[in-house]
Amino acid sequence: MAEKNHADMALEVTQLIIDKLNITHVTADKVNIETPLFSEENELELDSIDAIEIVVELQKSYGVRINDELPTREILYSIKSLTDFLIKENATEKIG
Amino acid sequence: MSINIDFEHKMHAHCETGTLVGLLRHKGFNLTEPMAFGIANGIFFGYFESKNFPFPTFIVRTRPGEVRTKLAKSLGIKIKDFKFKDPKKGMDKLDELLASGQAVGAQVDFFYMDYFPEWMKVHNNVHFINIIGKEGDKYIVSDSYHREKALLDAHSLQKARWAGGHMSPKGFLYYIDKVDSSVDLEKPIKKGIKKACRNMLNLPIPFIGIKGIYKFADKINNWPNLVRDTEHLSHEIMKINMFLEDQGTGGAGFRYMYATFLKQASEIIDDANLNKMSERMMLIGDDWRSISYFAAKIGKKRDLGTDKIKELSDLIRKQGDVEKIFFADLKKLY
Repeated sequence: MAEKNHADMALEVTQLIIDKLNITHVTADKVNIETPLFSEENELELDSIDAIEIVVELQKSYGVRINDELPTREILYSIKSLTDFLIKENATEKIG
Repeated sequence: MSINIDFEHKMHAHCETGTLVGLLRHKGFNLTEPMAFGIANGIFFGYFESKNFPFPTFIVRTRPGEVRTKLAKSLGIKIKDFKFKDPKKGMDKLDELLASGQAVGAQVDFFYMDYFPEWMKVHNNVHFINIIGKEGDKYIVSDSYHREKALLDAHSLQKARWAGGHMSPKGFLYYIDKVDSSVDLEKPIKKGIKKACRNMLNLPIPFIGIKGIYKFADKINNWPNLVRDTEHLSHEIMKINMFLEDQGTGGAGFRYMYATFLKQASEIIDDANLNKMSERMMLIGDDWRSISYFAAKIGKKRDLGTDKIKELSDLIRKQGDVEKIFFADLKKLY
């Protein structure tokens, strides 16, 4: 399978969040991947309770465990940082 | 006054351990955050119901400050610390330490850390930061939860250091006076593991350690009788997620951090058994994370019937069973 580029991967992660959290007010292509995920400015309008859902979903979908080796808040800072983490962990293909 | 101490800023999972390992690194001793946590036997569980708390609560680590004092004792680190009744004296002492080139740890109320956005601000009197310089009337801060070094004005810092209420900081400051970076970690690691096992298995207090997990599992069934309404119950149930995942725990109520400690310890003292225990603790962490997720989900959906609370209680009790076996097996190693 061809290696996904960062932009494709970021779009896939955004779509995963949208699907999992049943977000209907915005589409993945309209989300700024650099805006802090849990800020008021982020188009996804997430709250801190959503964080655990995202973490659990990423573990199920990509087989990565987000724990303290790199602070969770640094990984969950934005779609971009999440994507960077998945690429660094070589976890760009869904397993579930 | 302009002072800028050459200090490497890094994000960390937890503010207390992050601040501590940051100051140690500054003094030439590279200790990881999980290693500091493990040697200081930070892993814990306690369930509390008291007139002093507005609602029952639980903790997943030892008391704030204990990681610092226990690590110092175990590794022979000399720490100088100070508390002040008089804010002027406390701010003067900070300036004096900075002027002498010391990077300084401080206890603060998180609410006044103005470099965080408004929506993040909550009152928490046991936040720790490192103060590493001063530009005019602003202090340069290294905060484990912030991506870059930050500036905080003196007025906000003073309010944060002398905030009132439970666990008030009382201007607390500390710095590392002396550390031996060649210290052998084997004995401290084994001692830390033994003490963690004792805390989880053998303290004769019915709400501490494994007994505390079982107490939590039992008592949560009564939570619906303690709340004003569904909204209140939802808030308290969602706090389970916050305590396990959202307060600098490294995830899963410090269980992932402890698993990482065991993995790093197995490499340092060349004991493969510890690596196996690390893998088991990682799975225990996954199960705490599932509890956290379950609590967040039912809390958010207000799906809080007695069947759901019972399900949550059963999940917590199962964690008690698993951790009881885990710590008993860990205890057998040393």
